[in-house]
Amino acid sequence: MSYVCVRGFIILLFVVLVSGCGSLDKKDLNTVTVWHWMSDRESVFQALANRFENETHIKVKFELYAPSESYAQKVKAAAQTDTLPDIFAVLGEKRDLASFIKSGAVADLTGALNKPEDGGTWKSQFFEKALAVNEFLPDNEYGIKAGIYGVSIDVAAIQMLYNRKLYRKAGLDPDKPPQTWEEFLEHCKTLKENGIPCFVGYFGEIWAIDALASNYAMNLMGEDKYFKTFEGKVPYTDPDWVRVLSLFKELADERILVDGAVTMVSKSAEQTFANERAAYTFNGSWCVHVYKGMNPDLDYGAMLPPRLSKEHPMKVWGGGASSFVVNDQSFRRANAIQFLKWLTKEKQQSTLAAETENLPANKKSLGKLSKVLAEFADDIRYTTHPNVFPVHEDPEVTVALDKGIQSILIGEKTPEQIAQAVQRVKEKVMKKSHQGQP
Amino acid sequence: MKDIFVSPGSEVNYEIAKKTTASFFIHALLILVSLTCLFPLWWAFASSLKTQQTVFTDLSFFPKHPHWENYAAAWTQADFGLYFLNSLIYTTAVVAGVLFIASLGAYAFSRLRFPGKNILFLVIISTMMIPIPGSFIALYVLLNKLHLINTRLGYILPQINGQLALGIFLLKTFFDDLPKELEDSARMDGCGRFRIYWNIALPLARPAIAVLAIFTILAVWNEYLLAMLVLGDKSLMPLQRGLMVFQGAHVTQYPLLMAGIVITVLPVLAVYLALQKYIIKGITTAAVQG
Repeated sequence: MSYVCVRGFIILLFVVLVSGCGSLDKKDLNTVTVWHWMSDRESVFQALANRFENETHIKVKFELYAPSESYAQKVKAAAQTDTLPDIFAVLGEKRDLASFIKSGAVADLTGALNKPEDGGTWKSQFFEKALAVNEFLPDNEYGIKAGIYGVSIDVAAIQMLYNRKLYRKAGLDPDKPPQTWEEFLEHCKTLKENGIPCFVGYFGEIWAIDALASNYAMNLMGEDKYFKTFEGKVPYTDPDWVRVLSLFKELADERILVDGAVTMVSKSAEQTFANERAAYTFNGSWCVHVYKGMNPDLDYGAMLPPRLSKEHPMKVWGGGASSFVVNDQSFRRANAIQFLKWLTKEKQQSTLAAETENLPANKKSLGKLSKVLAEFADDIRYTTHPNVFPVHEDPEVTVALDKGIQSILIGEKTPEQIAQAVQRVKEKVMKKSHQGQP
Repeated sequence: MKDIFVSPGSEVNYEIAKKTTASFFIHALLILVSLTCLFPLWWAFASSLKTQQTVFTDLSFFPKHPHWENYAAAWTQADFGLYFLNSLIYTTAVVAGVLFIASLGAYAFSRLRFPGKNILFLVIISTMMIPIPGSFIALYVLLNKLHLINTRLGYILPQINGQLALGIFLLKTFFDDLPKELEDSARMDGCGRFRIYWNIALPLARPAIAVLAIFTILAVWNEYLLAMLVLGDKSLMPLQRGLMVFQGAHVTQYPLLMAGIVITVLPVLAVYLALQKYIIKGITTAAVQG
């Protein structure tokens, strides 16, 4: 009897395993496959796919591969075997997108975006900044033909946030957050006098330090001088750079940062701000969804980082957030573009914004945003991002700068020492790159 | 003179007190170690009964208002029914494959003589050093050429391959120590090589097989990265895919995630408890044999 059971089980297992074999039907023109990594949007994507199928009879199959690091690996592996789906995303830096374009895996969407339709173009629906992240300008450093190679489904801005309730508690006006660095220091003093911890940033993640330092560098010296530093024409020992570094010394000296902020990762910093254990934080617009989950009653507002100089505008990192590209090798390319066009229309963008509480990429979909999200949306015009910079700093120099700022924050080094150390790294990198040139 | 004051009774009492004290400290240490092992599990269970708002603010060991409905929500939202069945199929297939192939290989390495045996054994063992993520792209290219991408077989075969080195190493150690006389008598009774392996060696290696089985079950049950690389269809995905639903790029639904983790841990816990006797025997024997 037991032998019969075992044999039966083996046969059943074999049938189940073999039934799983077989490749996808590549001739199915009416099914567009999308690979994504956004696990928290899976249900809304599915709902939108159903809506699209009802309207067009084109089926859209969303396949989730998370977390993002593994997704990026899967996309790279699929690119090497020519098995990329119709729509996917290239996560990483602009040079990664450039290498996918060079390999012929990404379609140029410029023609589709500029094609006149319904009294405008597809491109005209987007925030200008939403497309910049996927755009290559003429004579770009990667040698890519000028054009737009992807579309964003949402945008983001990384700004400062302040707790309105704690502001009231300290006797400060919650409608008047600090506009200048001096005002910020004054407000921090008042908050501290009332026993309120001031600022929590997730400075354990060095990109956050990089973003804040970059904001102030551009504000103090202007974009031209900032980019000239990357080109090696302005040294990091320049007084403007030393001033930028000294801001972090002031944060440390005035005890503005909450304990542990230098090594904090995003989750801990978000928890600290959500639980009203800090009056200020520095975070991206995606935080609205995060804080709602952690503390629905949190009363807070978004603001640009208090400016250091009036000469140049305060720029913040942001722009196109989650982007999709179309597989240039796919014979369902036309359907894939049609779906992306539909997904970025006002109605679908409003659905996405409402469900995920992210800023929509379509500027006509701003109507029903929450107050804080609307404040973020207001400042989209001030956004910039390393992916849209005309020149880029060597990663070795960036890491030296960011780690240097961490050591200023813990009181280990002075701004002058860090400026000199970063300049030494910069000179070493430039020497190496000159030697590498033919 | 001194001995006059030490009665035989007090010597016995001293020994008892010494043993009791030692036993107390040993047990206290063991209890402490057990608590450090159990605490994360309890924390996961307690968190699974909280809400997203209270999960980091309510630090009690057991919430005052437990939200048992989190389990139902986790089960339905993550589609655990489908993934459970898939994981069951994968685990059964991989465990069966590993036990069969590893035991055959280990027996061959232990009992057969052939040229290059030691080198081949070392090469197999050295594959334990290569983690699956390190060979992702190469594996993807290979499976694609074999048309095994997005198939159950394409997910099962690399996992069997991945567990073989450990299995062969573990079982060879056991087979090496089995008395050869048993096999000689079986041979005199007319048993062939395969029959000796099947009827004599394999039943005697039951504790080692139990250890290998539980290691393999744990590895397959908790596997996710390979599934994400090889599989595309949601209907083919294993259990761990369900847990990803609760971990967004910026927001993690901790109570549902913890409820999901508790749900996924239970079957492995049940298997461990069922095989506990063999596992302990297997591990202690392996420890004695070195």
